[in-house]
Amino acid sequence: MSKKHLPLFVVVMLVVALAVPVAQAQDGEPFRVAVVMPSTVNDLAFSQSMYDALAAIQEERGEENFEFVYSENMFIVDDAATALRDYASEGYDLVIAHGSQYGASLAELAPDFPDTAFAWGTDINTYTDEGITNIFAYEARSEEGGFVQGVMGAMLSESGVIGIVGPIEAGDAKLYVDGYKAGVLYTNPDAEVIVNYIQSFSDLALAAAAAEAMLESDADVLTGTAQMVPGAIGQAQEVGALWFGTQSSQTSLAPEIVVANQVYDWTVVLEPIFENMANGVMGGEAYALTLENGGLVIDFNPDLELPEEVMAAAEEAIDAIVSGELVLVVDETGAGITVEEGEPMAEATEEAE
Amino acid sequence: MTSNGAPHTLPTGHARIDHMEMKGIVKRFPGVLAANQVDFDVRTGEVHALLGENGAGKSTLMKILYGMYQPDAGQITIDGKVASIHSPADAIRQGIGMIHQHFMLVPSLTVAENVALGMPSSRAPMLDLDVVSERIVQLAKTYGLQVDPECPVWQLAVGEQQRIEIIKALYRGAALLILDEPTAVLTPQEVDDLFVTLRQMTADGHALIFISHKLHEVLNISDRITVLRDGCVVGSVPAQGATKSGLARMMVGRDVVFQYKRDEVQTGDVLLRVEDLTAQSDRGTPALRAVSFDVHAGEILGLAGVSGNGQRELAQVIFGLRSATGGKVWLGSQDVTNKEPDTLNALGMSYIPEERMLDGVITDFTVAENVILQEHGQAPCSRGRLFLNPRAILQRSSELIRAFDIKTPNANTPIKSLSGGNIQKLILARELRRKPRVLIAAQPTRGVDIGATEYIHQCLLDQRAQGTATLLISEDLDEIMALSDRIAVLYEGTVVGIVDRKDANVEQLGLMMAGVRADAAS
Amino acid sequence: MIGDLLNATVLIGIASSGIQLATPYLYASIGEMFGQRSGVLNLGVEGMMLMGAFTAFYTVHNTGSLVLGVLAALMIGALMGLAMAVISVTLQAEQGISGIGIYLFGLGMSDLLFQKSFSQIVTVRGFPTIRIPLLSEIPVIGEVFFEHNLLVYVAFALVPLAWFVLNKTTLGLKIRAVGQNPQAADTMGISVARVRYFTVTLGGMLASMAGASLSIALLNVFQQNMTAGQGFIAVALVYFGSWRPGGVLIGALLFSTVNALQLWVRTKGIDIPAEYASMAPYLLTILALVFASKRVDQPAALSKPFERGD
Repeated sequence: MSKKHLPLFVVVMLVVALAVPVAQAQDGEPFRVAVVMPSTVNDLAFSQSMYDALAAIQEERGEENFEFVYSENMFIVDDAATALRDYASEGYDLVIAHGSQYGASLAELAPDFPDTAFAWGTDINTYTDEGITNIFAYEARSEEGGFVQGVMGAMLSESGVIGIVGPIEAGDAKLYVDGYKAGVLYTNPDAEVIVNYIQSFSDLALAAAAAEAMLESDADVLTGTAQMVPGAIGQAQEVGALWFGTQSSQTSLAPEIVVANQVYDWTVVLEPIFENMANGVMGGEAYALTLENGGLVIDFNPDLELPEEVMAAAEEAIDAIVSGELVLVVDETGAGITVEEGEPMAEATEEAE
Repeated sequence: MTSNGAPHTLPTGHARIDHMEMKGIVKRFPGVLAANQVDFDVRTGEVHALLGENGAGKSTLMKILYGMYQPDAGQITIDGKVASIHSPADAIRQGIGMIHQHFMLVPSLTVAENVALGMPSSRAPMLDLDVVSERIVQLAKTYGLQVDPECPVWQLAVGEQQRIEIIKALYRGAALLILDEPTAVLTPQEVDDLFVTLRQMTADGHALIFISHKLHEVLNISDRITVLRDGCVVGSVPAQGATKSGLARMMVGRDVVFQYKRDEVQTGDVLLRVEDLTAQSDRGTPALRAVSFDVHAGEILGLAGVSGNGQRELAQVIFGLRSATGGKVWLGSQDVTNKEPDTLNALGMSYIPEERMLDGVITDFTVAENVILQEHGQAPCSRGRLFLNPRAILQRSSELIRAFDIKTPNANTPIKSLSGGNIQKLILARELRRKPRVLIAAQPTRGVDIGATEYIHQCLLDQRAQGTATLLISEDLDEIMALSDRIAVLYEGTVVGIVDRKDANVEQLGLMMAGVRADAAS
Repeated sequence: MIGDLLNATVLIGIASSGIQLATPYLYASIGEMFGQRSGVLNLGVEGMMLMGAFTAFYTVHNTGSLVLGVLAALMIGALMGLAMAVISVTLQAEQGISGIGIYLFGLGMSDLLFQKSFSQIVTVRGFPTIRIPLLSEIPVIGEVFFEHNLLVYVAFALVPLAWFVLNKTTLGLKIRAVGQNPQAADTMGISVARVRYFTVTLGGMLASMAGASLSIALLNVFQQNMTAGQGFIAVALVYFGSWRPGGVLIGALLFSTVNALQLWVRTKGIDIPAEYASMAPYLLTILALVFASKRVDQPAALSKPFERGD
């Protein structure tokens, strides 16, 4: 190797070494799960929510019975596909592709490993139409928690202006944003909701600037979704505006301003998948986190005292969605969410105001 | 030792170098012995010329003296004391200066900034350009040089840039000045001016080393002449009494013909006509401004001029490598303006490019591969336009190697291991094999040894006898004078005038190269 | 709707955001400019920013000292710059590729270190906003220019400082000469390698400061890949600014202000598809680069390793 290429080689090797999945070889006695995630396990968001769920299951079942490994930061789909295939060939019982961008890769490799079960989300496609029988799908109805938090936000806002920072207008993020917006307008039709998709999942500085613009436009309640929101939270913290989190609890980041978080509890999805697998069913089912099944939890910040009527309104909204009194209809063209009512729920909310 | 009765201190205020000696210098490069036990010395008040062909080791020896290379053996003494020179900075400290063949100036900086570069400032860490400018003006006055310290260097003509180089060396206190081919880029008048300056410098006590391969200049300016060949000193003689033919024999190792066999040729039709041609330089500035001339069958039109006056662009436009922004190029009766080189080749035009390693050959290819660059897709070099025919290619290459006396181990040798002269002969062989009607030869002998130069010159004259129309672009006025039937002079992108060789003289051409129109110059 | 943009709050907001967003670009671009003026193209800025951002954040989190945070960032930046200098100057590796290597290293290493040191995202107490007495009282102007944190002021002060160093000092002259004609500089007794080591190391320190300005001044948080490509934009801004500090300043401000503007446009509910609005600053940069012709200050020896002799 020439001297010119040596340093480059060293650098590349270092980088490769950092990117290699943290897989550990095991005997095969316990139930073994592998998961591939787009961001880091401590992102306070999507990836962390899955990590926390797996850790909780491990805690419950014991390390000798339940093992899991993960590859994080797999934002390049090709890398993720390689990792998925590696895990499958290493004989993991369940391989989870935790990102809606991984679907196509998964559909391609799943037929090669009929003895392995796969799960992916967020989506509802189990690829049974293509004759594949070993893929589970899962999604989060994040518009539900979004709606509940929107109801609270509308009541807490004094200015009537509420800001939402999103990454790109698609998937889980769009559901949450639309749900939150529907919740605000359901409670206060005169409220102004500023939505800004900043077209980035990672640019904290841009998220901060977007939040700053909202705050200067009189917003006093903010929310946001995806990994770049810490930038926005920092801005809210500076002026004491309130914040709603989603996907994971963000309370620790800014305990004085976080009102509540919609927390994903993927155990609700994972447990039935394990059950199915125990019964020899390797795929074909789609699951969703909802308020009803406890997969979505509104996690209030214990350190922030909320007015009673706000708590009441939140609980009523949860009950209404769980009971089916309120139905959140997702427009298939992407226009947003409309609220349809079964029982007179509106009265209760108006009383609360 | 106070030869010539020169004072001990130079007018610049720096100390003089009475005697610099290099003894037993050896320098090896991979595969080449560039300096083999070379002894060389220079004294205060003299010009010692270092004469030799390209590759004889002149530049290597001087780069050793200036600290750019380290010798493998030998030592340098200055006024009897051993001098260790490990870098140009060391050399400058010892009072040695060097004017490189390619000027070592930074074009975007002003004259004063170039001079101040690397020198301690009186207001460190800030620049003291006003102090520097003052000193420049003072030095310029002492040595009769004209410079404007505030002017950016890229705006200066080549001759002016050379003056800056001299001032730069003087500013650094150079007592011994090495001049590497200083006249290569100058008009004859500028050469005269330079010699006036150099003579004054020796009178003031400077020691000068003058590197050249131009015999008449060496005889004109030097006190002593040392000839190098293949890294060895062939001999050292006083200039007085030395002759051109004697020096040439020392350089080449055999007798050299200065006169070529030159038949009277009846010129025929116009084969190349250029009409009001305009084009832009790489920077987007006008490079050619309405250039017009004709070249007849059986004629060599020499295009003289100082480097950078549009020669390069003209050759490129004619051969379709640069777009003409106006005007026409005719090949015979055919308009070939802005046609592709491929088409021009097929129509009988050949081109010997100025940068042979860049535009003439592909350095990583073998000799044979370079021979078939244009014709690799045609029979017999290819079969069915798809596959190369190695046997035919080898045969053709071997024929050319033999016919043109190209020194190479075989046809499959990589071209980059050949000498400059042999590469140029190969290009010439490749182009002439196709019996061109029109030949554009740009600097055909630049950097080529005397033997190959002779050969190439004779080839061009033979081609002329066969009725080729040749445009010879050269900065070497001797070459132009030796070969051309008519001589055109290019200055700032215009043809200043076209004169018959029989009526031309060097002074007149020199004036024209400086922009004086033909009628005024004669 | 457009009228909504033309009120004082919005205009002040845009200008003030523009200045904040420009801060990391200024550090990184001024540093990169020094490297490029001496002939070294460092594409590893992004990686150096990430390492700087992490190091500063980590130090401030553990010691609570902003001064130590800045010093740590400068140190790690110097180390990374030195690494780039060894690779590109001494070993003469292809600069573009080795820069990308440095970037990937910084990206991976900062993330790895973050995960080993923190179990979750936390914040630190960063540089507070300093209202400059009297000046910040000036209506509009005060709010836009004189209510920022220290690192913002330093970034803007770098611009005239860089101009002065480049044009008025012997060091600056050496840097310009080495980037334009290293052979000439060498024959004038200047060590081309030493000058390039200096500029690339300085560039690393400033790139690292760019990261620190995000993690301990503007955002006070660290996250994996938080610079999101800003280091590459910083390299483009050097070209945009024709290798002059003033030009870099204009480029950074223009890019950031257009970015702030597009955020405000959507904050005010003006219906421009987000994808297009977000593209605006990048499009503008590309256009400027396309239409910018070769300029006098373009270092002729940019990205060319220097070796003595012909």
